[in-house]
Amino acid sequence: MSDAAASSPLARRAISVLRSGPFLTVLIVVAVWIAAGLTLAGFGSYGHLRYILELAAVIGLVAAGQTLVIIGGGIDLSVGAILTVTAVGVPLLAWDADTSGGIAVVAMLAVAAGIGFLNGLGIALLRVHPMIMTLAMATFLQGVLIIVAGGSAVSMHNPVVAWLGDARPFGVPAGILLWVVVSAATLFVLHRTPFGARVFALGANPLATSLSGVDVNVTTMAIYAASGLTAGLAGVLMLGMNGQGYVGIGDPYVLSSIAAVVLGGTSILGGSGTYAGSIPGSALLVTITALITVVNASAGWRSILFGSLILGLLLLSGREAKSR
Amino acid sequence: MSLDLPMSEQPLYWPVQRRRSRGLWPLFCVVAAFLAAYAYLFPGLLSIGGLSKFTQSWFPLALVSMAQAILMLTGGISLAIGATVSLGAVIAATTMAGPLGVSGGMALVAAAGLGIGAVCGLIVVRLRLPAIIVTLAGSFIIGGAALLILPRPGGQIPGWFSDLLAGDTPVAALLLALVALVWKFYLATPLGLSLYAAGENPVAAYRSGVPVDAARIAAYAISGLLSTGAGLYVAAQTGSGDPVIGQAFTLNSIAAAVLGGVGFLGGRGTMRGALAGSLLLSLMINVMFFLGLPPVAQYVAQGLIIIGAVALPQINARGRQA
Repeated sequence: MSDAAASSPLARRAISVLRSGPFLTVLIVVAVWIAAGLTLAGFGSYGHLRYILELAAVIGLVAAGQTLVIIGGGIDLSVGAILTVTAVGVPLLAWDADTSGGIAVVAMLAVAAGIGFLNGLGIALLRVHPMIMTLAMATFLQGVLIIVAGGSAVSMHNPVVAWLGDARPFGVPAGILLWVVVSAATLFVLHRTPFGARVFALGANPLATSLSGVDVNVTTMAIYAASGLTAGLAGVLMLGMNGQGYVGIGDPYVLSSIAAVVLGGTSILGGSGTYAGSIPGSALLVTITALITVVNASAGWRSILFGSLILGLLLLSGREAKSR
Repeated sequence: MSLDLPMSEQPLYWPVQRRRSRGLWPLFCVVAAFLAAYAYLFPGLLSIGGLSKFTQSWFPLALVSMAQAILMLTGGISLAIGATVSLGAVIAATTMAGPLGVSGGMALVAAAGLGIGAVCGLIVVRLRLPAIIVTLAGSFIIGGAALLILPRPGGQIPGWFSDLLAGDTPVAALLLALVALVWKFYLATPLGLSLYAAGENPVAAYRSGVPVDAARIAAYAISGLLSTGAGLYVAAQTGSGDPVIGQAFTLNSIAAAVLGGVGFLGGRGTMRGALAGSLLLSLMINVMFFLGLPPVAQYVAQGLIIIGAVALPQINARGRQA
């Protein structure tokens, strides 16, 4: 590196941004979009790209909480079930006095955050491993959901949710606006608040963090509650876009949220990363899925293609540090 | 102090084994309690036929739990177990009734398991990618391959072979004993010995000359073999293949291994624990079935019991510390 460039703080900052994982992921997304836009008719149109971003918003919302949890050294495998809980719960929770539907939404978001809080409670106080705790929670919720909702889809008549799914203030879909707001909040909390610093510390070394006087239990419960909340928001958005909720609606989002986080350069081992990577990570995942759908292949080949592409992208962004 | 070292080998074996089982007694007691409850609800269990039927329902879960535990002992994990089970099932169902015959099909299933496992292991170990993501992506590839081989449930396993493996004879119990015995022998080989060292402290193990990478890749290969083996058995049980039959095994294998005291960070736990964990899980499902719980309530109960079983020893341990 030349001394002149290194001496100027602005240039140093620019270089570190250019070399960072998130920027690399953005580059990949842009490259894929340009390549696909030039070769496939209609792929690069404004409407299609907007649609891709709308779908990415759902993954991005789930990935917001997932990023917090993974940076904090955990993993949340219950996000799919929590997403389903809100998508099924909001329509079931309709009553006459609640004309705008806002109360039902707020209530279900509280339930979602509560479920996440319970995850955190089990992980922090009962010392159950995050993978087991959230998996067991997902199994539990799946049972409850089938008892409550049965096997059929439930349609919603909720003005707030319908607005979220359909409205386009200033020509931008409301779902994308919601994603922007949540993204800004997540980035602010992670990188500009003491709480965010505690999350990074927790993921890097829980024992040292605890000995430094940080209340590890409270931090753990908070990040899982946040993950529950963002999964719940994604459920509401999903319901708005779909018009109905059904058991299993959230299942694909467990894997895609984790993949988005890891493709964005966040270490699955915790302690390092940023949500700024998960944002292009989500867009990349949806883009890949859209491309695979365009290639007219059987379900088996689509699945193989998806897995291979994720594996290939991991080689670019997901390497662990050499251990010796 | 006596210096008769050659003599000390014999008396040392059982104390070591006792030490390794020490944390497992509560689990063994719970398993015994569930076994007693099951025998009370279903007295037929105590006959040869009842016992062999029960081991048959337990056997595939036992195999995948071992497949998961061997990876967790090295500090790895696999989310592709379910897909690998499905692949084993469809390979068995499409080849065994064909020109290759039963032995050819078995060889193909074994080769697929070893090969897939070894490739996963190579990617995780040599390219230093996180195991959880590699196997997640791998589950899509392997599951896709299973769908390519057999797009919808079908295929066939020769009747006599199904009867041999899943008939009224305790063949499954014998096979399980055989697998456990082979595991004992494997632990005595250099690779097997390296397994725990590589999981507990890879850097220290490497500096002491332990073949860390080889031990971990071998663990992935064996894990793949056990998974496709479980798939073969499931196919024999049902008489045909199903490209998504293995899905539930991924989570259940992790749950069984963790119930059995196998740690996520490597080097902690025993195979007997994982087997006991899988037995507990399978007993739980059977007992709930006999109690007449609807399948849905079983989900709820299963979630609660898994959390309880994992959390109780932790609370206990902290109570003793305080």
